[in-house]
Amino acid sequence: MANKVIMVVDDSASLRQVVSIALKGAGYDVLEGCDGKDALSKLTGQKINLVISDVNMPNMDGISFVQELKKKPEYKFTPVIMLTTESGDDMKSKGQAAGVKAWVVKPFKPDQMISAVSKLIQP
Amino acid sequence: MTHGIPEAGPLQLSGEVNIFTAAAIREQLLARLETSPRLEIDLAEVSEIDTAGLQLLLAAKLTCQSKGGDLTLVHHSAPVLDVMDLCNLTHVFGDPVVISSN
Amino acid sequence: MSMEEALQTFFAESHELLQEMEDRLLAIPALAEEDRSETINAIFRAAHTIKGSAGLFGLDGIVEFTHVLESVLDKVRAGQLMMDADMVSLFLDCKDHVARLVELQESGATLSTDDQGKGNELVARLSVYLTDTPQAAVAPAGEASHPAPAHPTDSLALESLGGNVLDNDNWHISIEFGTDVLRNGMDPLSIFRYLGTMGHIVRVVSFFDRLPALSELDPESCYMSYVLNFHSEADKATIESAFEFVQEDCKINILPPHSRVADFVEAIKNLKQDDLRIGEMLVKSGTLTQRELDAVLAYQTAQEQGDSASQDPHKRPLGEMVVQAGIVQPEVVEAALHKQIQQKKAKSRQQQSIRVDAEKLDTLINLIGELVIAGAGVNIVAHRSGQTDMLEAASTLSRLVEEVRDSALNLRMVQIGETFNRFQRVVHDVAKDLGKEIELEITGGDTELDKTVVEKIGDPLTHLVRNSIDHGIEPADIRAARGKPAQGKVRLNAYHDSGSIIIEVQDDGGGLNRDKILAKAIEKGLVEPGIDLPDSEVYQLIFEAGFSTADKVSNISGRGVGMDVVRRNIEALRGNIEIDSQYMAGTTIRIRLPLTLAIIDGFQVKVGNAHYVIPLDMVIECVDLPEENINDGHDSNYFSLRGEVLPYMRLRESFEVTGETGKRESVVIVKYGNTRAGLVVDALLGEFQTVIKPLGKLFERLRGIGGSTILGTGEVALILDIPGLVQQMIRKSHHETSRASVKE
Repeated sequence: MANKVIMVVDDSASLRQVVSIALKGAGYDVLEGCDGKDALSKLTGQKINLVISDVNMPNMDGISFVQELKKKPEYKFTPVIMLTTESGDDMKSKGQAAGVKAWVVKPFKPDQMISAVSKLIQP
Repeated sequence: MTHGIPEAGPLQLSGEVNIFTAAAIREQLLARLETSPRLEIDLAEVSEIDTAGLQLLLAAKLTCQSKGGDLTLVHHSAPVLDVMDLCNLTHVFGDPVVISSN
Repeated sequence: MSMEEALQTFFAESHELLQEMEDRLLAIPALAEEDRSETINAIFRAAHTIKGSAGLFGLDGIVEFTHVLESVLDKVRAGQLMMDADMVSLFLDCKDHVARLVELQESGATLSTDDQGKGNELVARLSVYLTDTPQAAVAPAGEASHPAPAHPTDSLALESLGGNVLDNDNWHISIEFGTDVLRNGMDPLSIFRYLGTMGHIVRVVSFFDRLPALSELDPESCYMSYVLNFHSEADKATIESAFEFVQEDCKINILPPHSRVADFVEAIKNLKQDDLRIGEMLVKSGTLTQRELDAVLAYQTAQEQGDSASQDPHKRPLGEMVVQAGIVQPEVVEAALHKQIQQKKAKSRQQQSIRVDAEKLDTLINLIGELVIAGAGVNIVAHRSGQTDMLEAASTLSRLVEEVRDSALNLRMVQIGETFNRFQRVVHDVAKDLGKEIELEITGGDTELDKTVVEKIGDPLTHLVRNSIDHGIEPADIRAARGKPAQGKVRLNAYHDSGSIIIEVQDDGGGLNRDKILAKAIEKGLVEPGIDLPDSEVYQLIFEAGFSTADKVSNISGRGVGMDVVRRNIEALRGNIEIDSQYMAGTTIRIRLPLTLAIIDGFQVKVGNAHYVIPLDMVIECVDLPEENINDGHDSNYFSLRGEVLPYMRLRESFEVTGETGKRESVVIVKYGNTRAGLVVDALLGEFQTVIKPLGKLFERLRGIGGSTILGTGEVALILDIPGLVQQMIRKSHHETSRASVKE
């Protein structure tokens, strides 16, 4: 059976790379997006099992991205992990409204991300 | 009416039976229940099932029973057996399951 | 793609971001305030991104610095701070510093002190903007930055699902999932699978009682509840973390397995901190998680508010709530309550004890001493008067005075444990100096004795302990040869024994070498050669001045000064020292001391016209002097008591009392330690409670007299120093024996 696919959206290429390495190591396939707009353009109906997205990104921020994502029927119920900062309380409430329940505080270590992911999906 | 055999043959479910497909499958089930409270579902082609899928099947079974019929599941695929086992629901459905060796 | 390559990407990316940050910063002054937000956001994002990525690579130095920078930028972004020219230049400096940090990482170099200083300086400058009173608040203050605390709702999981607690040794987890869980992309099955990675899911019971008929069903809502039987070694907080993404809209109960109850109770018992609330204790012991506590407390507050409206002031205790909610076993709450009561007791005990100036206490004891004497006076008068009611009153008074005396003396009693514990350090230091491995064992630390005795016992004890380690315990190689463990053992022990306190210093060393001591004593002229002395007396010789058998003089002991000083100190406390020793096996030095120095129960005797008092606890019996001894003068120092030969002395002769001899002489048999002896007196006057008054300087060295007291009649009586007298008798009798043996 095909591996489950996780989309990682962050404007930092290095962050995407590290997360990607960790996720692939754990048995997932990874799709990358450098911001909300880029990510949306890459989501053309293929199966995505989980989205990991930063909040603060150029072009399209994480909240708008999730709102757009949830409008698409094929991603309506896709779980989202949002990356946030300690000071991001107001962001969090906006994200909650968009249906985001899983938050991981930046900075995090790769194994913390894997642990968060495995509470939502398994490879 | 021959007893035990649903009139319209088994309902074939395939692919994902989950939150994404639950609404559509519910429509299918409701349509079938219009004609008869006896229903057989073939799960051989189910590749993925989640809580939404499980509770949909449960609700269908309970509805059939409340109407004097029953819902029978056949040909459970591995993913279905896996989650039924995890939730300890096999006995609730009460269907004979074939545990494959692989 | 490898981590090394990802790190290279990070370096490149950071340089780009920093360049962008600089460009944007330089653009700021030219922009009108209302047009800045996009630029400020980009600057913020640069710092934010570098911080996030650096964290992923574990570059903590960069994370720490950019965190402060990001915090200030966040305030600027939120409109709480206005970016002026100063701030722009500060941010530019910060950007340079981040660049420097990244470069250092890239080249593998370490941070120089200059760089560190620069970083600290910048953090200090940034921190100015982080204080609570913003210097330039541009945003209207009306914007509430923090949302009101979540209102406690009925969603709190306080009713245990299913209700039937499964009687096995697993975690019992019940979860009622919120309606939107599935819609939010969470699948309970995934959580169960995740749980499976930290233990074994023994059983899942699915509850679908909330499930409506298919026609009513919203296929995207969750109607399921579950009870899990989960076997895991993980702690409660870890298990709870599996539900972290769903806990906001689920009711979750996690009841630990029964086998954990004992652990929790133990953990609660061992909590060091005082003043903990029940909830805090439960959290610290791992019984309750912080989230559970917060939820229950919020629920309690909500109930309270509800109650005050309904005029029912009953507030349910937290312990009761958590038990009823099925989150905590009752035994654990009981342990916590018990601990709390203990803490309260200890606290109130602390508050009840007061510090008293020792001088005030001494004055009190002195006064009670006078009271005891006055009471004795009253007794005498009462007896003389022969009035029954007077006698009765006097007897009541005596009894009360006795009680007051005992309580007063009790005030001065302290446990010896603290003194003993100080020896841990002494033993450690001395053992280290001598290169020996010594273990100190302390027993009987709760034995009480008079404070003044405790104060004076420290020095002699120190000497004895040092001596044990130095002379007693053998070097490791000799110990090994003798089949003893390498680590030597010194034991301090204390206990009460008939009106005295016994303090023992014990070691498992080589023991005293009798022959060596005897040889040395003969060499020093302390003992005449050819006399057969019992072991105990040979051992006593080490307390003679200038006596040391150590072949090698160490700076700890061995100079022969000390042991005689030890004996003098102990004797000054009306105590004595005995030694038990077994060659090769060890030595026990036993110090016997009176419990108190202030007051004694005495036995009053009369010789001529003089009154003497013998401490009552040393008196064994009184007998008439046997016929054959009555007129023996100096010839004999022994008399036979029921076949036992005892030394005796005539006080009349010892203290050179003049005056008429009584018609018959009596012998008071006294015992000190293991020695019994007789004191011949003219008359026995009976028991008598008395206060010891120290002798004046002039009489301090007087042999055989330990103090004085004033009698009820106003007369002075001397208190006999029985240890002194007994030793005097023993020595004299040895002298006689040796003289006799020479004669033969």
